[in-house]
Amino acid sequence: MKLIPCFLLTLLTAQAFAQDVTSVLKATDKFRMTAENLQVDTLINVTNADGTPDKERRYTVFAQAGRQSLVVMQSPAEKGQKVLMLGDDFWLLMPGSQRPLRITPMQKLLGDASTGDVATMSWANDYAGKLVGEEPCDAAAKQACLHLSLNATRKGVTYQRIELWVGKTRFEPVRADLYVLSDKLAKQAMFVMDKPTAPTMVLEMVLADQVSNHKVTHVRYLNRKARQVPPEWLNPMFLVRNPPLE
Amino acid sequence: MAAQRFTMLLLAACAAAQAQDAEPQLSGQVRAQWDGVHANTAGPLAAAHTLQAGMATLPVNGVMLETELRASGKGITSVLTLQQQRLDDNAINSRAWVNELFASHDAGAWQFSAGKKIVSWDVGYGYRPNDMVQQETRRTLVSSTPEGRPMLLAEHFDADTAWSLVAVNPSASMNARDAQEPALAARLYQRFGAADAYGFARLGARTGASAGAALAWVATEALELHSSVRFSKHIDSQSMDPNTIALVAQNPWQPSTAQNVTQWLIGGTWTSPSQLSLLTEVWWDGSAPSDAQWNNWSQRNHQLSALAALGAPAAAVAGNLAWQAQSLGLSQNLRRSNVFVRLSWQKDPWKPSLDLLYTPADQGRVVTAALTWQGDRMQVQGGVRVVGGPAAAVLAQLPAKQLAYVALTWTF
Repeated sequence: MKLIPCFLLTLLTAQAFAQDVTSVLKATDKFRMTAENLQVDTLINVTNADGTPDKERRYTVFAQAGRQSLVVMQSPAEKGQKVLMLGDDFWLLMPGSQRPLRITPMQKLLGDASTGDVATMSWANDYAGKLVGEEPCDAAAKQACLHLSLNATRKGVTYQRIELWVGKTRFEPVRADLYVLSDKLAKQAMFVMDKPTAPTMVLEMVLADQVSNHKVTHVRYLNRKARQVPPEWLNPMFLVRNPPLE
Repeated sequence: MAAQRFTMLLLAACAAAQAQDAEPQLSGQVRAQWDGVHANTAGPLAAAHTLQAGMATLPVNGVMLETELRASGKGITSVLTLQQQRLDDNAINSRAWVNELFASHDAGAWQFSAGKKIVSWDVGYGYRPNDMVQQETRRTLVSSTPEGRPMLLAEHFDADTAWSLVAVNPSASMNARDAQEPALAARLYQRFGAADAYGFARLGARTGASAGAALAWVATEALELHSSVRFSKHIDSQSMDPNTIALVAQNPWQPSTAQNVTQWLIGGTWTSPSQLSLLTEVWWDGSAPSDAQWNNWSQRNHQLSALAALGAPAAAVAGNLAWQAQSLGLSQNLRRSNVFVRLSWQKDPWKPSLDLLYTPADQGRVVTAALTWQGDRMQVQGGVRVVGGPAAAVLAQLPAKQLAYVALTWTF
């Protein structure tokens, strides 16, 4: 009979921790997703393993509530290309094609900075996990971070597992290990904040490839502003239209 | 009068579009391309050339400079192409054309366009039977912007549904054929979670009604499946009079209309975590010449060659053989049944690909190997295409046996 209260206590404790993780993640998300509906101008710089510049890309990202994102490529090499992400469903419009293509989550991963890295700006709705404990923020750091171990709760996400270290007080993201479906470490992320002592938003995410070419991708959030796009912009067939972005 | 009406509508649409507030944008690309061609020694064109040099124009090497300019703003979109081409040692041939020039009006969920515009609807890669407004050339070596059609377009969008209604070639003659035929066309799109469903309808001024449907479905994390089907009461084509025998004084291939035509495609794309993609498609094009028509074609080729051996005038036989070769460029698909397989790998900045088009009816094939390098502004593409199969295969008798190309594209 004594087992029942113990079991209930364990269950309640586990549930409380799960709720804690969700709360922490929601707080962490606000450092990238500073409003529920957002327009973000993003600059990507990829450097080779030896530090030489490889390529530069510009994107306008409309990150909207309900796991909806529209990515408009702005660089000359990709001008006219668009990617729409609605939950676990993805479409691609290639320049000049006038035909939106359904793509699989696997095709979404194309490129050094995958579209998922650019378009996904929150974790709370896609991941659940546990608090591993307090750990140094990185090997050289003296301050301690909270280490969260997260597993994807949805099928369409770019990374299946994330080991995330966040600040103890404000829960700002500090670094993350990003694992793909095969549980291989794909990238390591570092987050650069606007004010190191009292951070309010992520200025830059630095992704170091761990699989093949060991390139480093700098994802810089140049400009954020709250913006809710009209519902028709999130219709896949609307991708062929060119509405004014400003 | 019809052209004037269309111009008036276009001007009215332009006036409405002027009210739209959009920042003007200018972009484009310049592409230099070299094509190296190895002419086929088989087929009716080669036979015509052997009999009488100069009677038939064989494919030759060429260089080309193509500039594409894109401008948009104030509700107006335009795409203009300037091309300079030099084939072998001939003089430079220059031409320019407008790919798109249309005015758009944004009324929220309703969107309107008028002018020359590109509209692509279907879901396939190698073949798109439901591109009812215009049929693009598929499986090109280097992709380029197609040329749009004059149209009036109204579309409505909500979260999961889209309607498109289009009057294409509204100012063309009611007797115009093929892509110039005036027609009304409609598309209904509905999203069902992981699947996109489409319904299509077209009413041609001369060819009458046709209807189609398409589906694209993301079945798993790595697998996408798609299919299309279309039925047409009439489709414009060209055919040879089956009673044509011996030498004739005019091209026996004349415009005709195929009846009760079915076209379909089924295919899928599988992508691995390492970005290796395999596309496989199988399609049937009922508008392509039938097996019986190709048999007649083949018999006539033999008959003409035999006539030459019997002493018939070489120029007349060569001319008739050259007309036979024209049939190789009359339809999107040469044979009705087709299989297409494409293997590609994306490893930034490289993208190699290898594809095969196979026609089971005569075991003809076209193999293409290509490599693309993509930089920030520069793209370099190169590849080789080879046709083959048994001697009697239609694809094996195409004018070019091998085609190599290199293209440098700079975007701005």
